[in-house]
Amino acid sequence: MEIYIKFISKSFQKQITYKIEYFVGFINGFLYIFVFTSLWNALYAEYDANAFKSGFTKSSIITYAVFVMIIKISFSMDDQITTRKVRTGDLVTDLIKPVSYFCITLSECIGQTIFHFLARGLPILALSLFIFDISFPINVTNYLLLIVSATFGYLILFMINYIIGLMAFWFFDTFSFQLMKYGMYAVFSGGVVPVDFFPASLQSIVDFLPFKYILYIPTCIFLGRFDEDEVITALIGQICWVALLFAISKITWIRAMRKLVIQGG
Amino acid sequence: MSSIITVKNITKEFRVNKGRSGFLGSVTNLFSRDYRTVQAVNDISFEINRGEFVGYVGENGAGKSTTIKILTGILLPTSGMAEVNGIIPYKNRVENSKRIGVVFGQRSQLWWDLPVRESFDLLKSIYHIPQDLFRHNMDLFIDILKVDDFFDVPVRKLSLGQRMRCDLAASLLHDPDILFLDEPTIGLDVIAKDKIRKFLKEINRDRNTTIILTTHDMDDIEALCKRIIILDQGKIVFDNPLSTLKKEYGGERVLEVEFNEFYESLDKVPEINVFKEEENKKWIKFSREKYTAASIISKITENYEIKDISIHEPNVEDIVKTIYGNLY
Repeated sequence: MEIYIKFISKSFQKQITYKIEYFVGFINGFLYIFVFTSLWNALYAEYDANAFKSGFTKSSIITYAVFVMIIKISFSMDDQITTRKVRTGDLVTDLIKPVSYFCITLSECIGQTIFHFLARGLPILALSLFIFDISFPINVTNYLLLIVSATFGYLILFMINYIIGLMAFWFFDTFSFQLMKYGMYAVFSGGVVPVDFFPASLQSIVDFLPFKYILYIPTCIFLGRFDEDEVITALIGQICWVALLFAISKITWIRAMRKLVIQGG
Repeated sequence: MSSIITVKNITKEFRVNKGRSGFLGSVTNLFSRDYRTVQAVNDISFEINRGEFVGYVGENGAGKSTTIKILTGILLPTSGMAEVNGIIPYKNRVENSKRIGVVFGQRSQLWWDLPVRESFDLLKSIYHIPQDLFRHNMDLFIDILKVDDFFDVPVRKLSLGQRMRCDLAASLLHDPDILFLDEPTIGLDVIAKDKIRKFLKEINRDRNTTIILTTHDMDDIEALCKRIIILDQGKIVFDNPLSTLKKEYGGERVLEVEFNEFYESLDKVPEINVFKEEENKKWIKFSREKYTAASIISKITENYEIKDISIHEPNVEDIVKTIYGNLY
């Protein structure tokens, strides 16, 4: 366990060295929030809130837009780690050590996320508080539920990336898989528009995909948009996805190890 | 003596996509693929005892790295059995990796973006190295390999020689029983090579660490190994002490003779065999068991006018070339 904590802290340190990337990321994150809140402002000024049937008031949709983006920014991680290591063959240097590859990759991503949360998520949130009209939940339970739900959401995102990364064992290029993931993650996660706004047919598709559990569910739970039963259903849904994706990760890894051909054999 | 590594009838096959050429070929490839089976290693067996220093030699693609990767638990053999330290490496990679050290000459096991010091610190945690052992080993590596000269430099900024010294230190930090070295001196200059050889010799002698070394550099083998295993196209063609190699295959000595004039042939001395000519110079082979150098030289000087003469003992590189030469 000690070693994985060290990996997290080394990964965190590494992030600090990329200063220009950091500033670009900061501005980028804030711009996103600014654009989406402006859009919602414009929409709600033009139409009556009831026209959307989503249950969002103007104030609650702005709050949602800010928080979902803060979570998304914090969840930034390098999703190319495994693909890169498989293609260059550098994976062997991890395999000769008595460590779990899944765990060191997860540790590296967690280190990045802690950095992005502290260095980008929190300052952008602070800035947003001054500029936008945001209503904060005051209940401690909301914060505890956020931690639990965001952790599950994070694991789901990480394992999707991990499994796609392992596809590099079978396919020369995982770019098309990544592209598909980017698209689905951007839309179906509720990162742009809450799932409530989707037409019924699309919603039923989204219900069967893991993406809404990454951002939409943690945000809604945190903002108190769900009643008790809905919270429990949502958390169970997250747990099921974590378990399923973990099983797929394990199986894919075992098959990948059987398939393994390291370059320069 | 008990063997620390046992390899029994190991075969590793790879499936390679044969792929057709041309436009029509690539379209056909989309629908049906032809696979060709390549045997990287083919039914190899050997045993290595604790404390041995073994050279594992072969041409590119002979199967050296494949063997190392099976023994380190990275690759699963198609058939056969391997045991390292009583553990089947490919069934229990993590357990096996605690007792071995590995250096791949072509890539670093250190963390690219981190200073050397931090990489060592991470390894200390990974292998659960006790503080006093860590201190003791670090002192040794600082003393011999001088790794403290660049302790605070990120690994990516190190020169090849510096990086290799760090990688060697990293692989020995946890006092492994076995050290696998896959071309550790590749691309290094003479001085760096020499430093690394000295260090390996000491480690092998003082700690009784079993070392398996693959290399293309026969000078490495000659300087370090007592036993040599030669691999060709996935099969072991030679597995004996280095001295046997020299005795059996190094039976011929070479004379380099420069004559005053050009001779068509040297048929007045039938004991010898000319294998190379260059203007008035000739390179001559003769059996070291049947004839002494003195008798051959006097016979040549009796019949021909010579200007200069020198005698060469065969080196391992020549011998290995002869072995390969005999195979084709």
